[in-house]
Amino acid sequence: MYLVANIDPQICGATSCTLCTQFCPEANTIQYDKVRKTAFVAVDRCKGCAQCVWVCDNMAKHHAIKMIMIDQLPEEFASKLTKTMSYEQEDLKSSPINK
Amino acid sequence: MSLDYVKATPGFEKYMPKDYRDLIEHGPFGKKVSVAQVGTFKEVLEEHPMCAGCAMTLFIRLSLIALPNPEDTITVGTAGCGRLALSQAAIPFVYGNYGDTNAVASGLKRGLMTRFPDKTKDVVVMAGDGGLADIGFSMLMHSWFRKEKFTTIMLDNEVYGNTGGQESGMTNKGSVLKMAPLGKKFEKIDMPDLAKTAGCAYVAVVVPNNPRRVEQSIKKAVLIAREVGPTYIQAYTSCNIEYAIPTDKVMEDAKNVENDRYQFKEYITEDAKQYLAEKWGYKEYAKKAIQTTEVAK
Repeated sequence: MYLVANIDPQICGATSCTLCTQFCPEANTIQYDKVRKTAFVAVDRCKGCAQCVWVCDNMAKHHAIKMIMIDQLPEEFASKLTKTMSYEQEDLKSSPINK
Repeated sequence: MSLDYVKATPGFEKYMPKDYRDLIEHGPFGKKVSVAQVGTFKEVLEEHPMCAGCAMTLFIRLSLIALPNPEDTITVGTAGCGRLALSQAAIPFVYGNYGDTNAVASGLKRGLMTRFPDKTKDVVVMAGDGGLADIGFSMLMHSWFRKEKFTTIMLDNEVYGNTGGQESGMTNKGSVLKMAPLGKKFEKIDMPDLAKTAGCAYVAVVVPNNPRRVEQSIKKAVLIAREVGPTYIQAYTSCNIEYAIPTDKVMEDAKNVENDRYQFKEYITEDAKQYLAEKWGYKEYAKKAIQTTEVAK
């Protein structure tokens, strides 16, 4: 068994700061769910470095992320694997470069 | 090297892996994405074998998101940790021999300018402190002296992390490492100043604990390298293995180092400011350009 990051959707959904998505060293791992307005972890890609925990605790000060054993994930998030993830495209805005 | 290379052959879409289909449908190609939208689009970087919690991985990930035209970019790397992630990105990657990254990139850029005179193709060198400041030093300096138009990014982990912890030219004076047990005897090479002296149009020193700043620096560097001249970015990307930093403290270390010796610095020539303001609408440089012309009148 090994540790993976788990984001509490209640605490995260209240602020939606998205800092952890920017600080995760792994690509496509902490994703953002626009419907529920919360970040979530694609647990099959998480390497368990806990950098997001430090960022959430010390930079964002929300304390929404905890490291837990992979077999103890809440069910709804255990299903969030890369295979089942979906992206929403329409919200891509133009960046300043595109002017 | 165009949007066509990220398309599946008609009729075969359903047989492609999900990662590939996501990249075609929700990837950054042909769109403008930013660090603020991370987590809502498929990134070009895939799963890679770099260590858990590596700050270099974070920096490479942010850089690949920041590229203004990922579909028209070629990255050049060399031996070192960085290539482990760069080679796993959906961006053409050239693996140079140790030391010749900037020579390869010079030829590549000139070749692309000849082959595609009416298109813009970016070349970005991303190599470690050993590959650029020690072994590739002469190629690096000469590409700057010749004003070759591409971006050089140094992933400065201040050690030869891949081969067991030898000191590099970028290691700090006094640092004790596994293969430098008496501590380093001389000072860290001042690469940003060398870059300025050698004629770079844009030089920036960044730490990845500010993703937006990393993004802005890389966008500016790649855009300026298209027409004005060579650009250089030096990023502190700690080696948590050789410097024994716990993975959850990597960002804390980055913050401490930023306050200690790696403050954000940016150097940009007047030509580059004018180019960014006129061609890409950078307002912060437009005002300054007007002020200087008024003074000149």
